[in-house]
Amino acid sequence: MSAPTLRPPAPGDPASGNPAPRPPAPRGPVLVTVRLHRLTLWALPALLVLAAALMFYQWRHTAAVAADFAGTGCSVERTTQECGDTVRYFVDSLFDLRRYLNYAGLALLVLPGLVGAFVAGPVIARELESGTYKLAWTQSVSPARWLAARLAVPTLWAVALLSVAVVLFRWAQATAPAGLYPLNWYDRLGFTGLGPLPVAYALFGIAVGALIGLLARRTVVAMSLALLAVGSVLALFNQYLRSRLWPTVTAEGKQQYFEENAWVVQQGAVTPSGRRASYGECLPIDLSPCADAGGGLTHFVDYHPAAHFWPLQLVETGIVLALAAVAAFAAFRIVRRLG
Amino acid sequence: MTSSAIEATGLGQRYGTRWKGRWALRGCSFRIPTGRVCALVGPNGAGKSTLLAQAAGLLLPTEGSVRTLGAVPSAARERIAYVAQEKPLYPRLTVDETLRMGHTLNPGRWDAATAERIVEGGTLDRGARIRTLSGGQRTRVALALALGKRPELLLLDEPMADLDPLARHQLMGILLGGAAEHGTTVLISSHILAELENACDYLLLMDGGRVRLGGEVDDILTAHTVVTGPAGDLGPHTVVESRTTGRQLTALVRPDGPLDDTWQTHAPSLEELLLSHLRSPDAPPLLTPSAEAEPAALRKAVSA
Repeated sequence: MSAPTLRPPAPGDPASGNPAPRPPAPRGPVLVTVRLHRLTLWALPALLVLAAALMFYQWRHTAAVAADFAGTGCSVERTTQECGDTVRYFVDSLFDLRRYLNYAGLALLVLPGLVGAFVAGPVIARELESGTYKLAWTQSVSPARWLAARLAVPTLWAVALLSVAVVLFRWAQATAPAGLYPLNWYDRLGFTGLGPLPVAYALFGIAVGALIGLLARRTVVAMSLALLAVGSVLALFNQYLRSRLWPTVTAEGKQQYFEENAWVVQQGAVTPSGRRASYGECLPIDLSPCADAGGGLTHFVDYHPAAHFWPLQLVETGIVLALAAVAAFAAFRIVRRLG
Repeated sequence: MTSSAIEATGLGQRYGTRWKGRWALRGCSFRIPTGRVCALVGPNGAGKSTLLAQAAGLLLPTEGSVRTLGAVPSAARERIAYVAQEKPLYPRLTVDETLRMGHTLNPGRWDAATAERIVEGGTLDRGARIRTLSGGQRTRVALALALGKRPELLLLDEPMADLDPLARHQLMGILLGGAAEHGTTVLISSHILAELENACDYLLLMDGGRVRLGGEVDDILTAHTVVTGPAGDLGPHTVVESRTTGRQLTALVRPDGPLDDTWQTHAPSLEELLLSHLRSPDAPPLLTPSAEAEPAALRKAVSA
């Protein structure tokens, strides 16, 4: 041990506790963004873990009930007096799992909008509203880099967490005990969450949220508008556009065509003149326009087979990502003007 | 001629649309040489804050141009520090985190010792969140952040308004000491002249979105004289303001040549001079040669 001296400790000396001069941090604005929003950044993975735990608990419970039920010899289709309670219990637990899957699908539908509202309000507009942008933009970091950092953190977070959520959701949907209440790939609450769409919508929410935040400059207004923007696009695809993103397959015949796991977009009958009519128009058959010389009805059905899941997902993902790119470009143009 | 810290040419800023807008600043041309401590004074709504925000690169001028440290403001961002009037800080960060942010966002420039000296001058808990601080404490943190950047040009918008006289004196001392040591140019706005009078060697008087006076304080003072005497013709001299009491006339003039012996003269105080200008909006503006925006030759060519 050397004798203590009064010489001031040299920087970088580990014993002195003086850290060596740090090299310039090019990720500075990112670190600041993380520091400013650490609460939200922690809350999201915590919520994901909680949701996954609940889902897993219900899935295990239903799987156990299903296994027990298989051993009882009871059947849902032909239920006897003694089987009544057993069947009811089995069906109830299937339905419970379906409810959880619905919640999860709904969450994957809603989360991108919330991410967009978060970026529009607390991340961007609040800085403009409270004036802290005057602080942020007069450090050694340009407004464009400020925006890039403010968007990079939620982007990274949303991509990582939503990807995990989608994988979990796909697993839960695929392994759920088959039976009365499956969540189909084409269900409104199922489709979005089973592919890359939640990530794409979150990226759109972040980009459009940034644009709205920069334009509205008011936290609450920006949050509402961002939610509205993401919600509108989502609703548009969910209600009207999705089935048209890929050509449907058509089946015609004297028998009504049915394919397992297919998404029926439109069905009806073909009139003798070759016109398509809905069953509502045709029944009863004796009345025109479906009345014909005999031979019965010709049915038609336009549908998406299960194989169309990925083309539909990817086309919608591509469109949403293109919208996101346009919004991001516009947002960066706004701040670029200030150098 | 020394280089310019700020140079404005025909600078204007309109808020609102072309049709329903209001000009906060119009036709401002002036220059502040480097190394000066310049007071930016004027009544409320004179355009002081607008001018500072433009110089800080936060506002794009509607017309004209402003150059700071020889570049457009956005290109000189690293060498400029700016403290806005409302002292914006992130309310959820602690004092320590705020200073660390200053380090992170100004890599290679950050002077932790200076920043900490300013913060430690006040009774401040370093772990306290910004939102729990008083107005004066926030000012202290905002100034620490600005000075820690070791700027070449320091833009301060009414920085001392929230501070008690003791803190004001202490921080002014640190500010001016640092400015003198590093040759920092300081532009500091206020509508209270008293807090700046002894600290500044340069002056910019703004009123109604225009620059009325600009230049070295001493030169501006010597360019003006208060004359008293029987009412009469003030000849070729520029009269800024005159008052007649009975047959007695008192006037602030810019003498053009020697004054008549019939006049009693004395040098005006700075406050007297500024108030006279504010009361007389029609008095012609005066910029000393060092505060002129364009070289004289260029201006002649334009007017010819």
